[in-house]
Amino acid sequence: MTDNIGTQQPVLQADRITKRFGGLMAVGEFDLTIMPQQIASVIGPNGAGKTTFFNCISGFYVPEEGEIWFRGHPIRGLRPDQITSLGVARTFQNIHLFAGMTVLENVMVGVHSSMMATPMAALLRLPLNHQEEEATLAKAYDLLEFIELAEHGDLLATNLPYGSQRRLEIARALASEPALLLLDEPTAGMNPQETEATMNFIRRLRDERDLTILLIEHDMSVVMGISDQVTVLDYGRKISEGTPQEVQHDPLVIEAYLGAPADELASGFHAD
Amino acid sequence: MLNRFIQRFTDAIRKGASSGCVAGLVILFLILIGVPIKLQSLALFMLLFVVLVFGISLGRRLYEKGLAHLLLNSLAMGAAAAIVVFLFMSLINSWQSKGIEVKQYFDSVTTETMTVLSGVPEEELHPNPEIDPMTGDYMEGEPLRTDPMRLTFDADTGLRFKVGMASDAWLDMNMTIGGFYGFMLLLIIFGLLGTLVTWAAISFDVNRYRTQTSQYLSGNPILHWLVLLLPLILFALLWLMVGHGGSDPILNLGDGAQEIQLLTGFMLVLFGLVAMRAAHPTHWELAYPVRFGICAGAVVFLAVIGIWRILQDDRYFIAPPPTPEGSAALSVGAVVVVAAALLIQNWFALRNPERFEIQLSAVLSLGTLLLMPLYLDQYQADVMTLVGINVLLGLGLNIVVGYAGLLDLGYVAFFALGAYTYAFLGSRQFVYDNDQNPIGYKFEGNVDVVDRIMAWVLTTLIVGTIAIYFGLRYWKQRQATQAEQYIERPTLLRLPARPQANTTLLLIALAVGTSAVTAIILEVTGLYDKLFNGASPFLVGLLAGVIVSGLSGILLGIPVLRLRGDYLAIVTLGFGEIIRLMFNNLRDYTGGPQGVLQIPRPLPNDAAGPVTYLSIVYLVFMGAGLVAFLSARLKQSRTGRAWSAMNSDETIAQSMGVNLVQSKLMAFAIGAAFAGIGGVLFAARQRNIFPGDFNLEVSIEVLSLVIIGGMGSIPGVIMGAIVLIGIPEVLRELSTYRILVFGALLVTMVIIRPKGLLPAPTAQLRERARALVHGSEESQA
Repeated sequence: MTDNIGTQQPVLQADRITKRFGGLMAVGEFDLTIMPQQIASVIGPNGAGKTTFFNCISGFYVPEEGEIWFRGHPIRGLRPDQITSLGVARTFQNIHLFAGMTVLENVMVGVHSSMMATPMAALLRLPLNHQEEEATLAKAYDLLEFIELAEHGDLLATNLPYGSQRRLEIARALASEPALLLLDEPTAGMNPQETEATMNFIRRLRDERDLTILLIEHDMSVVMGISDQVTVLDYGRKISEGTPQEVQHDPLVIEAYLGAPADELASGFHAD
Repeated sequence: MLNRFIQRFTDAIRKGASSGCVAGLVILFLILIGVPIKLQSLALFMLLFVVLVFGISLGRRLYEKGLAHLLLNSLAMGAAAAIVVFLFMSLINSWQSKGIEVKQYFDSVTTETMTVLSGVPEEELHPNPEIDPMTGDYMEGEPLRTDPMRLTFDADTGLRFKVGMASDAWLDMNMTIGGFYGFMLLLIIFGLLGTLVTWAAISFDVNRYRTQTSQYLSGNPILHWLVLLLPLILFALLWLMVGHGGSDPILNLGDGAQEIQLLTGFMLVLFGLVAMRAAHPTHWELAYPVRFGICAGAVVFLAVIGIWRILQDDRYFIAPPPTPEGSAALSVGAVVVVAAALLIQNWFALRNPERFEIQLSAVLSLGTLLLMPLYLDQYQADVMTLVGINVLLGLGLNIVVGYAGLLDLGYVAFFALGAYTYAFLGSRQFVYDNDQNPIGYKFEGNVDVVDRIMAWVLTTLIVGTIAIYFGLRYWKQRQATQAEQYIERPTLLRLPARPQANTTLLLIALAVGTSAVTAIILEVTGLYDKLFNGASPFLVGLLAGVIVSGLSGILLGIPVLRLRGDYLAIVTLGFGEIIRLMFNNLRDYTGGPQGVLQIPRPLPNDAAGPVTYLSIVYLVFMGAGLVAFLSARLKQSRTGRAWSAMNSDETIAQSMGVNLVQSKLMAFAIGAAFAGIGGVLFAARQRNIFPGDFNLEVSIEVLSLVIIGGMGSIPGVIMGAIVLIGIPEVLRELSTYRILVFGALLVTMVIIRPKGLLPAPTAQLRERARALVHGSEESQA
């Protein structure tokens, strides 16, 4: 995979994007390039601007400066649903399933952007519309089998246990046939076994479904365990980038997470 | 020790006691609205029925706790209900014995109420005996007051349990228990009865009973088939209650016949819905000819009954221009066509052996529902029409509120727009000069306009279809020759992408343009008048009404796109008022508060006889049926899922690729268009419309019926319309309490059944999905 990076087009390229909320700069001049089939992570302390960055990619925020390219296409300023239909899918930090809809229906909503039925076609039940409905149903069921929830297809989604809800959220995102999957803290609130299972699941997503994955994560074991590339954000700015090993030893990163290094602190005392 | 015992005891009977209190309040409410006086011979039965129902529900809830617990609770329930009623009745009794006129506080409670509930004859209950002014004693010969609070076992003062109508009850039983204590005793006994019967039914067939909570009736095969056949049974009842060919009905109900027949009609609709829901795929191991034979037999039987009724009693419902009384041939023809359509549908559907039960119940429900209006008189048909129009409105609002979750309080605006559109186009209201001679139509030129619209719509349809067809072909050819798409996107099916928005616009412009040119040519050559002179304004009005309301739905939708929840409700509320005030104040154009009069029915001008109301009933039924069908289809489609997702969480729906703008406008437009159909039918039914018909109350009523019936549920909306519009209409005398009932019902519903009376079931798609994915593998295995 690494050898043809130079020849391939990046899946996502963020070019000096800046997002401000009033006087607060949430994300500043941030660059990021993700190549196909990579698992990239964005880490950083709370409030570093990770989720803001996600929202910029998925269209909920429009960055004031810079441009985002998805497979060579500028997507800055597009609506979230347009970006989704181009092939960017995301999950959310807190689980947001559609209450009142069954597990299967939740996944079927995910297929929405790759369907073309109009209400008129649905009213008249045109043959193409009917075929499309069946294809949607079959696809949703397939995805449920992939995440091992097919048994519970007719349950209300909100009645599932926590771990299953997380997986269902990912399946719903997958249903839109994305090329890039954005996962916002996929292991939040999980115990070590569940975390391990989720890591394997993310690897499987990349390997079996040819996905490129960008994730925000706080659990360092997950980040270091599965990422090909790690980017560290602090106060909206990129402070480090590289493989997990490189980032782990970067003094700037250590400073961001632990505060100023000991010797500097010490020298500061001496200076006083 | 004793303390703890008491505490344990009260804990044990808590459920029974609390549901008993509710039952008592319900009974009290029935007494207050005057059930004992107005429905004398059903009163006791109705009141006891309440406890029976509560007993049954108690039995279902507490079955697993064991018989002893159940008995204790049911006794507590009966006792609590009895005490609540008793307290109130003793108050009334003490007032009456003091000579206070109770009627001034509770206008439906009189001495008769006391008689019915205590069995003490009315003359002995005389509340205010005359007192000799001289001696201060009771007058000579005045009957003494018998205290109804005394328990007696005497045939003279016994409770009389009557079922039937006032003049001749089918069942008239003297319980030989007198006084309110007797009534209390009966309450307790009936509560116990309900619980025990349920307990027995469950223990008899416990596993099947528990399998499906929503279809608990299907556990017992006899009960199950009883439910499936209920529409037919109710129809038979209606048939017996109505006179045929001028003779007296077989089942003579006397004074209350009209109401009871109408109620039976409502029950027929309701149980039609219940039957269709209770039916589920079962393999009855019947051969195809047998399956088809049974269903076809049912269709033919119902059709023959219908034709008999039409011919025997001149119940025509179609009247082409020269036949003001209606045409027998066309009416019978319509029945035959519907029957044939049902037969053909059955022919194909019954190939699947599991569909037998579903088909049969659908045929029976639908058939009896369609026959029912033939047995109604004018008043009853009118009420049915009103209910049908409200079903239409409810289903439209259900799309906006139930499916898409957009709270719309100004829904009546679209209803008004539909009604006024038809009124403007169709009204035959004259303007008079000073000598009261008609000098022309008030809404001048509308006949001409109708012809023009009709003609133009027709030409647009024809010319537009041709233009778009060729336009699309050209577009596809160009598309094929074009290079790669803008970006490669996988779609589920390999389809050519839709034309871009501007291409679509171009095509539409092309179609409209050509048809306009054609229209001008027709106008200039004078062909218009030859072709379309004298066309009925109804169809044009319907079309125009639907289009006008649909477009105004979009117009309202655009400014409120970004609003949610309360803000949306307020803006739509304002919109509803604006439309009403507009019609009220633009006197020169809308007739102002005087309204629009002389709106034609979809019939010849001189139509008379049953056809005048039957045709409207059937039109409303058709409209409601069509709208229900379309809503059901929309719900299962891509659009429906997008609405549902939007209802649950707009942001997430958008991130799943749902175009919020499109979906919201679609919901507003479709909901409004349905209201437009309702409006046109309303105008055709009323024949005179006024701005006052379209006030906020209508919006609130429609919203309440959607909430009470069940948001997002089509049978729920129908049931809501019957409960909120139909039944109050029948019990006109009780209409003082209508708003009270509304409020009480809403509060109760939101607490007890927040999802409504008949909530929409969750979609059960897993089996079908599994069959789609694995179907081929399993058939090989």
